[in-house]
Amino acid sequence: MQITEIDGDLASCHSGGITRTVNLFIFERGVLKPGDYVLVHVGYAIQKIDPEAAQLAWETEREMQGAIRGDPNA
Amino acid sequence: MSNQRARQLLDQINTLAPSNPFKIMNVCGGHERTINLAGLRSLLPGHIELIPGPGCPVCICPEETIAMAIAIALNEPVVVVTFGDMLHVPINTARGEPRSLEQARAAGANIHPIASPLEARTIALRHPTQQVVFFMAGFETTSAPTAALIAEGIPDNLLLLLAARRTWPAVAQLLNRDQAGFDALIAPGHVSAVMGSDEWRFVAERHQRPVAVAGFDAASLLAAICSVTQQAINGEATLVNSYPAVVTPSGNRHAQHLIDQTFTTVDSRWRGIGTIPASGYALKKKYRLHDAHIHFSKYSAQSHHKDEMPPGCDCAKVILGKEPPDHCPLYGTACTPSNPVGPCMVSDEGACRIWWSSGLHKQRRAKQA
Repeated sequence: MQITEIDGDLASCHSGGITRTVNLFIFERGVLKPGDYVLVHVGYAIQKIDPEAAQLAWETEREMQGAIRGDPNA
Repeated sequence: MSNQRARQLLDQINTLAPSNPFKIMNVCGGHERTINLAGLRSLLPGHIELIPGPGCPVCICPEETIAMAIAIALNEPVVVVTFGDMLHVPINTARGEPRSLEQARAAGANIHPIASPLEARTIALRHPTQQVVFFMAGFETTSAPTAALIAEGIPDNLLLLLAARRTWPAVAQLLNRDQAGFDALIAPGHVSAVMGSDEWRFVAERHQRPVAVAGFDAASLLAAICSVTQQAINGEATLVNSYPAVVTPSGNRHAQHLIDQTFTTVDSRWRGIGTIPASGYALKKKYRLHDAHIHFSKYSAQSHHKDEMPPGCDCAKVILGKEPPDHCPLYGTACTPSNPVGPCMVSDEGACRIWWSSGLHKQRRAKQA
C-alpha cells in the first residue's frame, strides 16, 4: 500500500482504490514518509518496499482473485 | 511483464535436468497458494517436485493451547478474540465436549474473530471492566505486530494466549533428521522481510542444500525454483534472494528489536511434529500480568492433549512434507472446507485447504499405489 498521510504512528494508505489506516509502530519514527510503499500484515506496516514491487504485488493479487473467481481475463 | 518473465524462467527450468528427482520444499501458505493458482506443478518438468511443508501457523498450533483457549472461554467471564480461521480448528476431545472454539461459541462462550491485533486492543478498551484474551497463533510476521501491540501500550485488561512460532527452527528440525525429505528450500518471503534473508543461510552452509527466498508472484517463485535447481546441478549450495524488492539480508531491525524486547525464545510444541527447540515465543516476565498461560494455568494443567491429529487424518504427514494433501484418505471425502477434519483443511494457509480451493477436489489415488 502507498502511504498518503502520516499522523504519529498511524498512516492513511491506499491500494487499488482501497484506503486503510495502517499502524507504523514497527518502524522508527521518521523512517517512513508519504509516498512510500509498505507491505502490510494484520494492520501493521512490516516492511518498506520499492514501487515496482508494490505494483507487481497488486497485479498478482488481482490475477489471483480473478483465478479464484474463474475470470478468464484475469 | 511478470507473465513474460515467468515464461522465460519456465523455459529455462525446462532445460535443467538434475540427475535425480529433485524435491523443493516451501514453508509458506502464500507460496503454496501461488503455486496452485498459477498451476506451477503442471508446468514444471516431472523430475522437479514442489512440496508444501510446515507453513501454516494455525495448523501446527498445539491441541493443548486450543483446548486451553476453549476452557478459558467456557469457564471464565472473559472475551476470547482470535484470528478467524482458528475458530474452526478441530481438536480431539471426549465425546460431547466442544471440539473447536466455534463449538464453544455455540455453547455460549464469548468468542470473537478478529483480523488484527489492533482489534484486540480496541475490544479491550471498549470493555474496560472485562478481561479480553487474545489467542494468537502466528509466525514472525504476526509476532512482530503482536510485539508492537504490547510495546505500544497494552490495556490492563488485555491478556495474551500466545502460540507464536519461529519458522526456521522447524526447517532446521526437518534437516537434522536422517531423511529431511527435500533437496532444496524456498524460504518464506514475508517472514524474511521481517527477519532478514540471512536467517536462512544455515540451510546452505550447515546442510548443503540450495535455498532461495521468494516473493508471491509466479515469476519470483520460478526464479527461486530455477536458482535452487541450477545450484544443485552445479553441485553448489548457497542462499539466493529472489525477492530483493522486499527482502534485505538483515530484515526489519526495529521489528526484531520489538520482538526481542517483548518475547523470550522458548522450546515449543508443534502439532504433528512435536517439541522443537527455541521455536516459539513467550512473553517476557515483565509482561507476566498479561500472560494468559500464567493467569489461567489451571486450564493448562488439565490438558492431556498429545498434539495428535484426528483419527485417520494425515495432516501430520502433510505438514512434514511426507505426503501431498490429496494422498490423505480423508481428503475430499470425509474432510472438506465445509466439514474439516484436520487443521490443514481449515486454515487459508493450510495445504489441504489451498489445494481444495484451487480446484483439486479429487484424490490422486493411483499415485498411492
